[in-house]
Amino acid sequence: MRDLYQRLSLSSKASEQEIQHAVTGCQNSALRQDAETVLTVNVHRDTYDTLHHTLSDIGCLRARLGLTHGAHWQGDVANDFSMPPDNAISRHDELVDRVSSAVSLYNRWRRWRGPWLLIAMFATGAGIGIVIGFALRLGLAAG
Amino acid sequence: MSMARFSPFELVLINSRSQVDTATLLLLAWVLVHRQHVSEGQRRRRLAQVTAQFRHGHELGPVMGIAHSQNLQAIQLAAEILRKECSPERSLSVIHQSIAVATDDGELSMANHYILRFLADLLNVTPTTLSTLFYELTGRPFSTPEDPSRHVYWEQHNPDYFTQKAREAAAEQQAREDAEEQARQKAQQREQKKQRKQQEKQRQQEEAQARQENTRQERARKQQRDEQQRRERARGEQAKHDQARRERAQGERRQWQRTSLPPDRTSRALAVLGLPPGASRSDVRIAYRRMAQLHHPDRFYTESEHKVALASARFQRIKNAYDYLMQTY
Repeated sequence: MRDLYQRLSLSSKASEQEIQHAVTGCQNSALRQDAETVLTVNVHRDTYDTLHHTLSDIGCLRARLGLTHGAHWQGDVANDFSMPPDNAISRHDELVDRVSSAVSLYNRWRRWRGPWLLIAMFATGAGIGIVIGFALRLGLAAG
Repeated sequence: MSMARFSPFELVLINSRSQVDTATLLLLAWVLVHRQHVSEGQRRRRLAQVTAQFRHGHELGPVMGIAHSQNLQAIQLAAEILRKECSPERSLSVIHQSIAVATDDGELSMANHYILRFLADLLNVTPTTLSTLFYELTGRPFSTPEDPSRHVYWEQHNPDYFTQKAREAAAEQQAREDAEEQARQKAQQREQKKQRKQQEKQRQQEEAQARQENTRQERARKQQRDEQQRRERARGEQAKHDQARRERAQGERRQWQRTSLPPDRTSRALAVLGLPPGASRSDVRIAYRRMAQLHHPDRFYTESEHKVALASARFQRIKNAYDYLMQTY
């Protein structure tokens, strides 16, 4: 399984015209024949695209997991679908980080007795409102 | 620190009693999703059957949904957990389960070929172990996957398309040949018409000449008759005799001219080569070789210049005739 899009320097979402143009302009006759059969016939292209998508996913996974030189990853597939390692950090580490930060937030909330704090803030806000209301009423009565 | 929300699979993992089991569940669901010719209900039942011993303690539905959405991050997370927490025995059993799930009906889809290999690499299973396990489970060797990026694959798997294409190409070829044939026939007809017109013209000219000749002879005859009247009878008789003979000869000539029609270019060229009309192409070639040898100017080199010139003129005529015949025959 080879990545014909990559070999024809196309994107995998290329339109039919682009593919036709690239196929007719291809120098290598074997590659041209393959591309003509696979990419210009819709039924063939659908099947190919499905597998291409899966293999791109696997290539990406292998790059992130450090498996680009595995014993089962060789030949055309490894040549065409191996990706350079990206900067995505380990998903598991990220999950652990997020869980621990959520836990610390919760603990802080509990330590400060969050609910009581909330009630006290509500009470002070209501008190201030009442005071301002009285002041306004006195001012109107005097005027 | 990222402030993104927890993804569905992360929530499932946090709720799970056993993270390894949940991760395995997702990877098996991923394999099942890539199995072809299986309904959704069959997939779910098969997954439940395989994971009956698991201790995850949550519903299978969300995991199946995540596998269907091909969420790369969730699969990566599951793979990381599996790699981190699997013992070698557990790895083998996971591979065992995934092979079983992938090949219940004995047919391994192309995507699953690569997924199984990915899992084997992930769990540190060597190729020999994998192929042995596969052979034991399915009774068939673990072959290399077919390559749908090649022309040959489609020739085998979709021969209808190629037969149809060949038929279309043949039809097109046929149409082109028919058109060529028609064009050639038309050109031939045009050529024949032109030739006929030329012959017509030639005949008309000849007839006009003959008529002129006749009138002249008529006049001559009248003069002769006048003379005849003046001259003696004996001489007059002789003159009449002469004239009759001439007339007969002329008649004969005219008749010959009429029968030898049409003296078209082909028969003239054949005559140059000394062949009767209707000679075959090979006859023409043989005759040309013989004539060319006989009349080649180089043969007359030792004789006079004049003879060489005559021979080259003859040779040229022979060659022209031959070329013409080779083009038209």
